[in-house]
Amino acid sequence: MTSTGHIDPRGPRFGAAITSVLSLIAFVLSLEEARLAYITVVVLGILFAWSIISPGTHPYSLVFKKFVRPSLKPPKELEDPRPPRFAQQVGLSFALLGIVGGLFSPVLVSVAAAFIFLASFLNAYFGLCLGCQMYLVIRRLGIIR
Amino acid sequence: MTIGLTLALVAVSLLTGVAYKLFHGRGHRVLGAALVDLAKLKVHKNGDPVTEFGAKATLVLFSTKYCGQCPAVRRALAKLAHRHGSLLFIEADITDRLDLAAHFNITQTPTIFVLNHRGEIRYRVGGTPKTNTIETELAKLGAL
Repeated sequence: MTSTGHIDPRGPRFGAAITSVLSLIAFVLSLEEARLAYITVVVLGILFAWSIISPGTHPYSLVFKKFVRPSLKPPKELEDPRPPRFAQQVGLSFALLGIVGGLFSPVLVSVAAAFIFLASFLNAYFGLCLGCQMYLVIRRLGIIR
Repeated sequence: MTIGLTLALVAVSLLTGVAYKLFHGRGHRVLGAALVDLAKLKVHKNGDPVTEFGAKATLVLFSTKYCGQCPAVRRALAKLAHRHGSLLFIEADITDRLDLAAHFNITQTPTIFVLNHRGEIRYRVGGTPKTNTIETELAKLGAL
């Protein structure tokens, strides 16, 4: 199989597991300690942006390659990076909702954290990548090419 | 309040995941006699355009270049067709054919259609089919 640029699909799922923990923390904090919640959502936003701009140097990716992948069997299939990257963009847009909206209404920080948790949780533990599922539909609608 | 909302969020996520596992790849019967037009589908097999359906049944796999689960599904379906002579397996790559995706209302890849000998869609599965769903439908059409 030609694997130019293709990725181990367990990489994004590993990242999603960490994101799900961070976003759940952000959600809990958003109900108790607004300042800390805001900082956590900013961190999530930076991590999403990083994975879009330079996935190879992303801390999740480095940890996965160095510590996780060596103890796993070789992947059955490699995956095209486009859908997961698109999913990261969806994640980023929710983080931005929290970052920008949070300046006006703290509820939006909770909403953003909740959506990021839902999406990353489903991806990490059920293998359902909501952003990837949306990819074909959104292309059909002509929003992206 | 905090604990209640957090538990609610986790519960909703968990239920969504369980529902996904239960229903994903399950497929459903297609009522009516929607036909697949091979002239419009324009698929090739071994370099030649496909102009005839399988004697008993045809499997159509809609895939995209970026679809992660498609190669495994392709291998499984090709193996089935290889074993059963009255079954034809074809694949339509819809990466650049969004008109096809719109026409058949395909929202995810892989999507698999089971056609009868006349090319009518009898069954469709969105996602990776659960074990034996495709075989069961093919058996109904006498293709196994």
